[in-house]
Amino acid sequence: MRLGDLPASWRDDLGRAFDLHAMQGRAVVLTMAYATCHRVCPVTIRDLQQLQQDFDRRGLRAEFIVVGYDPDADDPAAWHQYRRTRHLTRENWHFLVGTPADVQRIARQLGFEFWKMDEHVIHDSRIVRFDEHGTLIATDAAAGLRFTLR
Amino acid sequence: MGIKGNLRVARVRSWPCVLLVACLGHSVPAAADTEADQIAELRKELEQSMQMIRELSQKVHDLEARAAQQSTTPATTPGSTPAAPAAAQVPAAPASPAPAAPAPAVAAGAPPAAPATAEASRLTQLEQTIAQMAANAWQRAEDTGMPMHGFADVGVGTHNAEFPNYRGADIAELDFFLTPRLGARTRALFELNFEVGSDGTVGVDLERAQIGYQFSDSATIWVGRFHTPYGFYNTAFHHGQWIAIGLRRPRFIEFEDHGGIMPAHTVGLWLTGSERLGDMKVTYDAYVGNSQRIFNGILDMNNAGVSRGSAIVGGNLGLLPGGVLDGLKVGVDAFQTRIEDQDPTPTAFPQVSPYFTRVKSYGAYAVYDTDRWEDIAELHFFDNTDLTGNTGSHHSDAGFIQMGYRGGRYTPYARYERGSFQQSDPYFAAQINGNSYNREALGVRFDIDLSSALKMEFAKTSFTDRIIRTYGEALVQYAIRF
Repeated sequence: MRLGDLPASWRDDLGRAFDLHAMQGRAVVLTMAYATCHRVCPVTIRDLQQLQQDFDRRGLRAEFIVVGYDPDADDPAAWHQYRRTRHLTRENWHFLVGTPADVQRIARQLGFEFWKMDEHVIHDSRIVRFDEHGTLIATDAAAGLRFTLR
Repeated sequence: MGIKGNLRVARVRSWPCVLLVACLGHSVPAAADTEADQIAELRKELEQSMQMIRELSQKVHDLEARAAQQSTTPATTPGSTPAAPAAAQVPAAPASPAPAAPAPAVAAGAPPAAPATAEASRLTQLEQTIAQMAANAWQRAEDTGMPMHGFADVGVGTHNAEFPNYRGADIAELDFFLTPRLGARTRALFELNFEVGSDGTVGVDLERAQIGYQFSDSATIWVGRFHTPYGFYNTAFHHGQWIAIGLRRPRFIEFEDHGGIMPAHTVGLWLTGSERLGDMKVTYDAYVGNSQRIFNGILDMNNAGVSRGSAIVGGNLGLLPGGVLDGLKVGVDAFQTRIEDQDPTPTAFPQVSPYFTRVKSYGAYAVYDTDRWEDIAELHFFDNTDLTGNTGSHHSDAGFIQMGYRGGRYTPYARYERGSFQQSDPYFAAQINGNSYNREALGVRFDIDLSSALKMEFAKTSFTDRIIRTYGEALVQYAIRF
């Protein structure tokens, strides 16, 4: 799986067009989340913050991408508020909103399983990483396990 | 990804060709007389196609490697390859990693390393086309299925959590969610629940059966059987107990067949949506449906329609202020209906059959839902009128407050609930659980993993009118989702 195989067109939390393929040439850390999740997603976001610290310590740079599971509920404004309230304002963090079809597609391509039940999104925790060539190099499906160890 | 990965990619990319060849196979000329000849012919073509794909993939790989070498920055770790598995091998960015340093490549449209030659360009295009064909074929195959998910829970306790006349171990429910994938705007939700009833036997109930059309993000209309959108809890938490912090619903908003005294389900029409106003978000619900009836001492939502009842009409308006109050939701709701009591008239009442009651309910709620807290408070008032003229008008109320603290895998919670129901009101008098009560509960939810939770609760329940009685409970529940 390569970054270039994923859907390209998204919107960021300011409503601007965001080309995911333009991230090729950089290391990318990607996960999926929904803004009103208070059980699993906070743990996943904490994992991302930990990864960010690791990158910083090594003097490396990566783009952190969070793709919204639920574009109906999580519009750019919702993600913008999410970023502000959780102080996730670094410029290399991107919270993306897509069409339902693109969300389904990227989830299937990267192995994010989820289903919607009314306002809830039932999902696991997963983090994937691409290298600077756009190649998938790591999948961390154990983020959920760490949730149980804390 | 390495050699294995490339082979895998080649195999994936070969599928569209296989399908293509298989389709073309139907028009293979009659030169191949027998079926065996046709198969041999197809096999040969398939092998040739796969060989061609392998060669193309190898060429693309070589060209990409060449292009990558040409565009490598001086900071690139020598010897790093696309298969580099560790973060340490990710090259340092040319710019400082400090938060304030904007990434030039972040801007949309920054081109990837361009292939060096026109041939490479054509091959890249071919590769993308094949990948897209493979993705489309895969998606079509996936779309033919209907995902099925659900919840289940079992328990043990000094009393059954739902039916306190039982004790010991119990199976509570197995709840299936069927959410067929339909068109872009058509929605459907079916909830099929196998649950233990008050007589201890397992029954099956179509808890929700709703088909809807989404006009926009701010308006969806549902038709069918849905959870009546009063207050917060009834539409936020459903039959699967895994989703909730507590191990059962507050008693007065239990589902009808578990003794709830409010119409938890409605069969009718429901318009729902939300609208963002700056940081704020407004949610709304408006619904109309069959009025409920009382049958065998419990509310029934009249799935087949009404014979002598009327309609339930109601609405719910919520506000999420956002900003510094992120996580807070406040709202009000109201509904009116006319309930027919189809059971024999209680002996304490004038013998009129059937009793009709106009039920008016008004409510308010506040929810504070954050990464740390899940706090819910809900209050409902009832202004009921006996339409037979025998007992007049009655005022009752019920409410609960619940506080939960999310501390990692442990979520301790406390809940206080109270129902004060006038027993001279035929609506409450006719219902098995229509007696006044209060309940205090302390519990903890323990998340074993992301799909299962163990809950333990100690509760004290006091019945304060029809029967005067207090009992304590120690309950354990094992709840899962799948």
